[in-house]
Amino acid sequence: MFSSSLLKSVSKPGRYAGGEFGQILKKREDVDANFAFCFPDSYEIGMSNLGLRILYGVLNKDPKIRCERVFAPWTDMEDKMREKGILLCTQESGEEVRSFDFLGFTLQYEMCYTNVLNVLELSGIPLLASERGEEYPIVIGGGPCSYNAEPMADFFDLFNIGEGEEMLPEIVNLRIKMKKKGASKQEFLREAARTIEGVYVPSLYDVSYNEDGTVKAIEPKYPDVPRKVRKRIVKDLDTMFFPEQVVMPYIECVQDRIALEVFRGCIRGCRFCQAGMVCRPVREKSPETLLKQAKCLYDNTGYDEISLTCLSISDYTRLRELTDGLIEWTDGKKVSLSLPSLRIDSFSKELMDKVASVRTSSITFAPEAGTQRLRDVINKNVTEEDLMRSAGIAFETGKDTIKLYFMNGLPTETLEDIEGIGLLAKACVEKYYATPGHGKRPPQITISVSSFVPKPFTPFQWEPQDTVAQLEEKNQYLKEKITDRKIRYTHHDARVSHIEAVLALGDRRLSAALIEARRQGFRYDAWDEFFSYEKWMDVFAKCGIDTAFYANRRKAEDEILPWDTIDCGVTKEFLLREKHKAYGEKTTPSCREACSGCGANCLGGKDICCAKTK
Amino acid sequence: MLCEDKMIEEYPLLPEPKTVRLKFCKTGALQYISHLDLQRNFGRILARADLPLWYTQGFNPHPKLVFALPLAIGCESVCELADIRINRDMPCDEILRRMKKATVRELDFLSCYEANRKFAEITYAGYLVKIQSPMNMLPAEADVEKLLTSSPLIMIRKTKSGEKETDIVPMIKKVRVSKDENGLCLRLLLSAGEGNTLNPELVVSALRQHLAFPGEEAEYSIMREYLTDGSRKEFV
Ligand code: SF4
Repeated sequence: MFSSSLLKSVSKPGRYAGGEFGQILKKREDVDANFAFCFPDSYEIGMSNLGLRILYGVLNKDPKIRCERVFAPWTDMEDKMREKGILLCTQESGEEVRSFDFLGFTLQYEMCYTNVLNVLELSGIPLLASERGEEYPIVIGGGPCSYNAEPMADFFDLFNIGEGEEMLPEIVNLRIKMKKKGASKQEFLREAARTIEGVYVPSLYDVSYNEDGTVKAIEPKYPDVPRKVRKRIVKDLDTMFFPEQVVMPYIECVQDRIALEVFRGCIRGCRFCQAGMVCRPVREKSPETLLKQAKCLYDNTGYDEISLTCLSISDYTRLRELTDGLIEWTDGKKVSLSLPSLRIDSFSKELMDKVASVRTSSITFAPEAGTQRLRDVINKNVTEEDLMRSAGIAFETGKDTIKLYFMNGLPTETLEDIEGIGLLAKACVEKYYATPGHGKRPPQITISVSSFVPKPFTPFQWEPQDTVAQLEEKNQYLKEKITDRKIRYTHHDARVSHIEAVLALGDRRLSAALIEARRQGFRYDAWDEFFSYEKWMDVFAKCGIDTAFYANRRKAEDEILPWDTIDCGVTKEFLLREKHKAYGEKTTPSCREACSGCGANCLGGKDICCAKTK
Repeated sequence: MLCEDKMIEEYPLLPEPKTVRLKFCKTGALQYISHLDLQRNFGRILARADLPLWYTQGFNPHPKLVFALPLAIGCESVCELADIRINRDMPCDEILRRMKKATVRELDFLSCYEANRKFAEITYAGYLVKIQSPMNMLPAEADVEKLLTSSPLIMIRKTKSGEKETDIVPMIKKVRVSKDENGLCLRLLLSAGEGNTLNPELVVSALRQHLAFPGEEAEYSIMREYLTDGSRKEFV
């Protein structure tokens, strides 16, 4: 437990104090297993995560399990902890994290890896799984990054591949059962890998490398360990566990509202998007379920805003029913509704009116690429017309600010495509003045450009990333093309994207660099103020790691990839087909128009789009 | 709201909105929550409690909510007051029952009643400061008392208009010092109210500056115990 003098000496002590409404308090002596669930970033970021809300509820629903939350302490707290030799504790009970049976991390982005190691260190837990005896927690990883967590493989006992709602309690219960029989951690890990779908135990595989640095083979150490670990999904979202209570943060968090998850998966298949591939197949919740859940959450939280979450809200087949139902219900209440992730082609006046209650004059679209050619390459399937029509509707209804998201460094990109970004923004400005009834102020079009990072399990996983120099040159080129003061141009730091690519595409040999990064005190690398490209490059150089090999190299199609052990449903054949279509500038229809045989239907699921497939 | 609760609409509308006062504590973990964060969360507690709240008219309607006296971070209290306004005749004990269900033990509601006195009458707040320390490290009671009662005792006070050097002795109405096996106990009555509130933390800082006690690492707690009006009668 953090002492009161310590809490009084740090910024925002509310981050560490606990005491929130909705937290679940159990006693150690009343349960068989203690699970510390860590979001490896600040409290304000972590408490905004829907996955944490769900899994915290799922685990605690089981009377045998106690789950408590842990976050990365902010840097001022970390300094004090190190100075005084204080170990990291959980929020609820204030007990030391290392006294728990499990420590689970959700890995949402690669740049949090150094925070994971920092949390282990601050908890007094050895970083390497191989150095942790029976007395230490079993360290579990899950979340999007676990699809290729090879750079982190040496630090974790097991990974959850896919959705954790069912898998996580199974894992904990297996441990409880085996521990009672006196089984060791190793025996448990092997049994979990053998019997629980979605469990990947990295230490049960040997990886060998070719002379050119590529992977030669990934071999299970024992015959009963699965050669491929198949992603786990929840088949029916309507009957899936739903957290009726949210732990209510007192201090302001990034997402401080009700998050209503409408569906999982995506019918689109943008070729750069990992979430769109690994979350397949689409599974929807019914409007009836959603309405019931919204009311329940409203009563139990007192939040005055509901946000519908999913990869692309306009693709929800029963959106109309849902929004009508929600509007009808929220009308008398002081609750507002927000719909993020709108697609340009489905933006309508009607939808716009429904979210008008959101007090904002700005609207966001993501064309991703500047020309139709390149949008076809990435399978974005929206046209300039779509954008102009949507922008027109927004302007008509009084908005004067539009934010446009793009990516640069996409495969086959030329300077013409970069210039196209500026031209699209210019077209928006012209559209503003051409729209009858536009606002009084001049329009403000913001272009935000991030750099393409090739991700595992996408058709672009074989693609090289542009070098930092190339990306920066493209940023500069675009900057010079934009002269209109009504267009604001911002871009992400290409150097962060480079490190992100290395970690996203990396293999187990990167663990040496991560250990070195920890040794040098890296943490909070997802935060601009703490990220240092020079230091990262020094670390890689010191460990003899060529970052270009991971980030900027075109991979052969028959190359064994570090993440080949994982089966996310979507087949390599499909990804290759998509890659070749990209080069041919050919688009692929959405799953609702036609099934493209991606393979994800083999995972099953009470599903609407895959029902049509063989 | 649970199904056994009566619907709000079952309570008759009032001809005029009515102000009710809630007394609550803010202890333990909740002492680290700032006044601003408390205000934001209070709205959510009210919503969870499902009360017949009266909303301000206008572009951005919100429930009426007024706090008696903000509490500094690191300070506990068993005598916080807040006024809300309702537009239906829900009995005070029902409001209290609903509020209690919508919160945690460390931010518990202690009573609810129709208020008649104005917060502006609040003039002093009583605090209990407990400083943990081994017996042999404690300063003499008389020294502490002398320090806190001999003007001038200049400290830097944060006010709305920035930091200001202030003699805090006139703001200390009463001091009582005692010792026990855990350390030093201070009972303070400090001036309170709009623009004139003395943070008890400043009294602890004064001790530290002038008597080298308590040490930087010492554990201490501050509890606001009661509020009074100008004639030092308890304010409720
Ligand atoms: S199997 Fe067909 S319909 Fe289902 S996700 Fe894959 S491509 Fe889409």
